Amino acid sequence: MKKNIKITLLIIPIILIISIIAFGSFYTYWNNTTPDKTCASCHEIGKSVNSQAQSSHRNLHCKECHGTALSNGFHSIKEKGMMVVNHIKNKQVENIKLSEEQLLEVLNNCNRCHSSEFAKWTSGGHSLDYQHVFLNTKHNSTEQINYDCLRCHGMFFEGNVGDVVEPLNIKGPWKLKEEKMATVPAIPCMACHLIHQDGSPQVRPDYSNPKTIFYQKKGPISKLGFYDRHEKVYYPITQLPQLNLWEGDRKVKVSDDQLMRNCVQCHAPNSRHQSGTSDDRTPRGVHEGLSCMACHEPHSNNARNSCISCHPAISNCKLDVTKMNTSYSDAKSGNNIHFVACADCHNGSRPEGRGNRSRIVSIIRN
Amino acid sequence: MANYCRKRLLQINKTRSQTTDKLTIKSILLMNQQAKLTRRRFITLSVLGAGGMLLLSRCANPPLSQWRILTEQESNLLDALAEQIIPADEWPGGRDAGVTNFIDQQLAGPYVRFQDTYRKGILAIQETCKAKFQKRFEELPWEEQTRFLESMEAGKMEGENWGKGFDRQFFRLIRDHSMQGFYGSPRHGGNKNNVSYRMMKLDYPVIIGQNRYNS
Amino acid sequence: MGNKHVNAIVVGAGAGGGIVAKELSVAGLSVVLFERGGWATYDDTDTDELKSQRTTVLGNAYGPDDLRYKRVVVNTDGSTYIVLPSDGGYNNNAACVGSGTVSYGAMAWRFMQEDFKLKTTYGPIEGSTLDDWPFTYEDLEPSYEKAEWEIGVAGDSTRNPFAAPRKKPYPMPPFSHNREAKLLYDAAKRLGYHPFPIPMLRNSVPYGDRPACIRMRTCCGYACPVNAKCGTQNTVIPIAIESGNCELRINSVVSEILVNEQGKITGVTYFDEKNRKQTQTADIVVISASATETARLLLNSKSKFFPKGIGNENDWVGRNLQGHAYTGAYGIFKDEVYDDLGPGASVAISDFNHHNPGIMGGGVLCNEFIRMPYAFTGIRPPGAARWGKEHKSFQRLNYKRVAQAVGPYQEIPNFESRVEVDPAIKDFWGIPVVRLSGTRHEKDIEGCKLMSEKAELWLKEAGAIQTWQSIGGRGLSGGQHQAGTCRMGNDPKTSVTDKYGRIHSVSNLFVADGSLNVNNGGFNPALTIMALGYRVGGYIASEWSKGNRFK
Repeated sequence: MKKNIKITLLIIPIILIISIIAFGSFYTYWNNTTPDKTCASCHEIGKSVNSQAQSSHRNLHCKECHGTALSNGFHSIKEKGMMVVNHIKNKQVENIKLSEEQLLEVLNNCNRCHSSEFAKWTSGGHSLDYQHVFLNTKHNSTEQINYDCLRCHGMFFEGNVGDVVEPLNIKGPWKLKEEKMATVPAIPCMACHLIHQDGSPQVRPDYSNPKTIFYQKKGPISKLGFYDRHEKVYYPITQLPQLNLWEGDRKVKVSDDQLMRNCVQCHAPNSRHQSGTSDDRTPRGVHEGLSCMACHEPHSNNARNSCISCHPAISNCKLDVTKMNTSYSDAKSGNNIHFVACADCHNGSRPEGRGNRSRIVSIIRN
Repeated sequence: MANYCRKRLLQINKTRSQTTDKLTIKSILLMNQQAKLTRRRFITLSVLGAGGMLLLSRCANPPLSQWRILTEQESNLLDALAEQIIPADEWPGGRDAGVTNFIDQQLAGPYVRFQDTYRKGILAIQETCKAKFQKRFEELPWEEQTRFLESMEAGKMEGENWGKGFDRQFFRLIRDHSMQGFYGSPRHGGNKNNVSYRMMKLDYPVIIGQNRYNS
Repeated sequence: MGNKHVNAIVVGAGAGGGIVAKELSVAGLSVVLFERGGWATYDDTDTDELKSQRTTVLGNAYGPDDLRYKRVVVNTDGSTYIVLPSDGGYNNNAACVGSGTVSYGAMAWRFMQEDFKLKTTYGPIEGSTLDDWPFTYEDLEPSYEKAEWEIGVAGDSTRNPFAAPRKKPYPMPPFSHNREAKLLYDAAKRLGYHPFPIPMLRNSVPYGDRPACIRMRTCCGYACPVNAKCGTQNTVIPIAIESGNCELRINSVVSEILVNEQGKITGVTYFDEKNRKQTQTADIVVISASATETARLLLNSKSKFFPKGIGNENDWVGRNLQGHAYTGAYGIFKDEVYDDLGPGASVAISDFNHHNPGIMGGGVLCNEFIRMPYAFTGIRPPGAARWGKEHKSFQRLNYKRVAQAVGPYQEIPNFESRVEVDPAIKDFWGIPVVRLSGTRHEKDIEGCKLMSEKAELWLKEAGAIQTWQSIGGRGLSGGQHQAGTCRMGNDPKTSVTDKYGRIHSVSNLFVADGSLNVNNGGFNPALTIMALGYRVGGYIASEWSKGNRFK
C-alpha cells in the first residue's frame, strides 16, 4: 500500500515534468516558427496569413499583434483551443473574422508602434466608449436607440443593439447589458484601417537625389476603408461610393479626396443627400470642395489652427478669419464653419473693396 | 504568389529566430505566472495543448481545394458559363465577380438540394461537347459556347443526357444562380468588390445619415 | 409541469393576432399569444436581397425556414409537387413576432364601401361565390380608425376622392414623392386622374416613441433599421406584454385545437421551443395564423364532434382562397427616374377601383417599390435578351430609368381555389401540411388586361419611351395577400364564421385574420386585417366585460 503511494508520488512529478518539457518546447517552437508551419497550417486563416505577408505589416510576426495562446490567460487558450476544435471537427468557417474581444486585444498592440497616432485618437472624438454612445440620456430620450446605431458605433459588436443596451425605448433609464462593455471603444482603429491590406513597409527614401523623394511617394492611400458590419467586410476607400450632395437642386462640389469617402459613410446627409442635413458636414459655401482632411487631423479630428494653413494671418479682407463670426470661434454662432457662405455675412452683396485687385496684391506682397 | 509568400515568411523567420531561441522553459513558466495560471489549470492546458499540437500535425497536408463542393474541373466549366451569362465588358464579368464561388458556397448551404442537378447538368454539357467537338465546354471558342447555351435555352439539346426539358431547366438554373452571384449581396461569395452595384451606380454601402435632431 | 389555464389563447402574433392579444390583455383577460417564430431584428439579414421576404432564393429572412416547413401544390392536371418556404409557390408570409408587418411594404389601405357589398354592386357572377360582407364599411370604420392611430399611418386623407368617408384624418402627414412618383403624379393629373400619396404604416415624423423613416431603398421585404415601420411587433404587442396579462410564447407551433366531450373548445396543443408537445387550456381561442395556416389548423383539428375539422361541416373551411392578381406595366424613360429615395412606392390612383366598364372590382395603381439589382435582372421588355452582353448593358443603362405602375387587382372569389391538408405529407413536427389547389377565376384575366392597359398609358404620359405590360390573373391564388378561407357570413351554410369572426358551430372559437375576408378588395389588405383584429378583439373584450364567458 505504502509502496503504491510512493510510486504514485514519484510518477506524478515525472509525468508532470515530461509534459511541461514537451509542452514548453512545443510552445516555444510554435511561437517562433514561420506562420506557414503554424498559424497558416490551419487553412481557415491561410487567407489572412497570405494577405498579411503582402501588407505593410509584413515584417511583424502574427503574435506581435494577435498574441500567443498564453498571452491573455485562459481566455486566449480557450479561444485558440476552440479554433483547433472547430478545425478538427471540420466545421466549415466562411470568411473567418476576429471577435470584438480579439480585435480590441490587437488594438492595444497597435499602440506599441503607433503611439503617436494612438495618443491623437485618444484625444479626439473617435475614441469614445460604448458608455458615451449608448448611455447618453439626451440622445436616447430624443431618439429611440435602433439597430443601425452599430453601423458607426460598435461596428465590431457581435449581436444587435438590444444586446448592448436596454431598454430600447426613449424613456430609459438605460443600462448596458454587461457592465464591462462601458469602456469598450466604439470606433477602434480597425473601423477605418485595413491592417492586412496590400502595402509596403515604410522605408527610407533613396537619398541620392533629394529632389526625387517627393516622387517616390505613392498615393492615394488604399489601406483605409469602411468596415461594413453586415457584410463583415472592409470596403477600401477606392471602392466606396462618391457622395452626391445637393443644396436644393444645385449639385454641391464635393472634394475628390478618396479619404473623404470614408468620413461620409458615417457623417452622412439624409436620403435626399441634401447638404447640411443629418450628420453631413461636407463643406459648402466658402469652403465648398475642400476635403475633411484639409482642416481635420485624421486621428484626433482636431481642426484647431487649421485656418492658418490656407489663410494668411490676416485675410484678404483684412480680417482675422479665426475671429470672424463663425462656429470656429464661437460654438453658438449661426454661421457653421462647414457651410458658411459669403452672403451669410454680407447680405448678398460684395464687401467694400472686394475685387480691388491691386489692393489684394499689395496685401499678399506685404 | 504562394511561393512569394513562403519565401517572405522564411525571411521573416530567419531574422526572428536569433532573438527568440533564447526563450527557455523558465521564461515560459514566468510568463504563466504573469498570466495568473493555477498549477492545475496549467497542467490541464499543457496536456490539452500538447495533444492539440500533435493533432495539428495532421494538417501538414497539401493545401485543400478552394472549393467546398465543386471539383477543379467543374469550377472551370462554371466559370465559363458564368462568363457567358454575364460577359466582361468595361466591367468585370461573371468569372471575375466570383459567381462560381457563390454557387459553390450555396451548394454547401441553401442550394444543397441542387447538387444533383448540377452534377447531372455538368455531365450532360461535357458529354455533349465531347461527342460533338471532342473538347470540353470551356475550351470551345466564345461564339461556339454562346450557340451551345442558346440551344440549351431553346430546349434543343439532343441525347439521353438531357431528358425531358432538362436542357431548359438546367440553363434557367445556371442563369438565375449566375445572376444571383453577380447581382446579389457580396456576403454570399459573389459580386466581388461590389462590382455590380458600382456598375449600376448604386451607393453601397448606402449613404444615409442617422441624426435627426440638433445636438 | 402543466401550463396554467388562461382566459384566452391567440394563435399567431401577426397583423390580426397581435392586435387581438392587445385588446384582450388590456381589457383584463389573461392571454397566451403563440408565435411559431421568434423576435426578428434588422440585423438578421439587413439589406441582403437574396435572403429577404421579397426575394427568397436563399431563404426567407423572417421565416419560415426550409428545413422544417413545406407545402403541397396541386397542378391543374391533378399531379402534385412539394414546395419549400423559399419557393414562390409556397405562398409565404413570415414566421416571426409581428409576422408580415415586420417586413411589409406597409401600405395602409381602407377598403371601399363597394368592397363590402360586391354582390349587390356587381350582381352574382357565374362560377363565383361572390357575396356581400355581413356588415358594412361603416361598421368597420371605427376599427380602421383605431388601427390607423394605434399602429400609425402617414397619409393625406383629403386627396383621394374615391376613398370611403372617414371621421378622423391620418395621424401623420404624408410622405414626399420620389422622382419617379413626381413624374407619374403630374402625368396622372394631365390624364384627369386623381393621384395622391399612398397612406403608409410608416413614420413620416416621429410617432409612438419611434423615429421617422430614413427612406431606405430596402424597405418592402426588409425589416427597418431604425424601427420607423409600424408593425404589431413594435406597437400593440409590447403594450400587451406590458399590461402584465399577456404571455408571448415564441418558437411555439400550435398543432391542434382541443375539443371536449361537449363540443366546446378547451385549448390547444403545441410544440414548444424544444419541440416537446404541450397543452395550453383557455376559455376562448382566437386563430390568427393567416388564411392558409388558420384553415390548416381548423382542418387538422378533427374530433368526434368535428370529423371534417372544426367549422367545416359544410366543407367551407379553406375555400375561396384569394390573393391579388398583380397587374400593371413597365416603362423605360429617357432620363434617370430613380433617385434612391426609398421605399419607392409613393403615388397612387384609385380611379380604377370600381365603376369602370369591363372591370369587376378593379384595383389601385401605384408606382412600385424599388427593385433591387437581382430582381431587376428578370425585368425586360418582351424579346429582350435574358442573359449575355445585351442583358448586362440593359442592366447598367436602364436600372435607373425604368418605372413600374402596378396594382393589386381584386380577385373574384372562386370556391375551387382552396387550402386543404395533405393526406400524406407531414412537416417536421408530424403535422399534416397545407395542400393548395385551384386557380383564379377565369374572369380575372380580363380585368387585369384592362388595368395593365391603363397602367401603360399612364407611364407613356409620364414620358416613358418604351413600355410593356405585365399581366397578372392566372394560376394559383394566395400569396402574401392570402385571404378568404374562413369567410364571414350570416348564413352558416355558406360561411365559416359569423360577423364577429366566431366559428358558427362553436361558441368560444374565433378567427381574426385575412381568412375572414369575403373578398379581398383592390388594395393591400394589411390595414383591413388589423381593423378586423380590433373588431374581433373589441367584441370579445366588451362581451367579456359584460360577463359573457362564451360558454
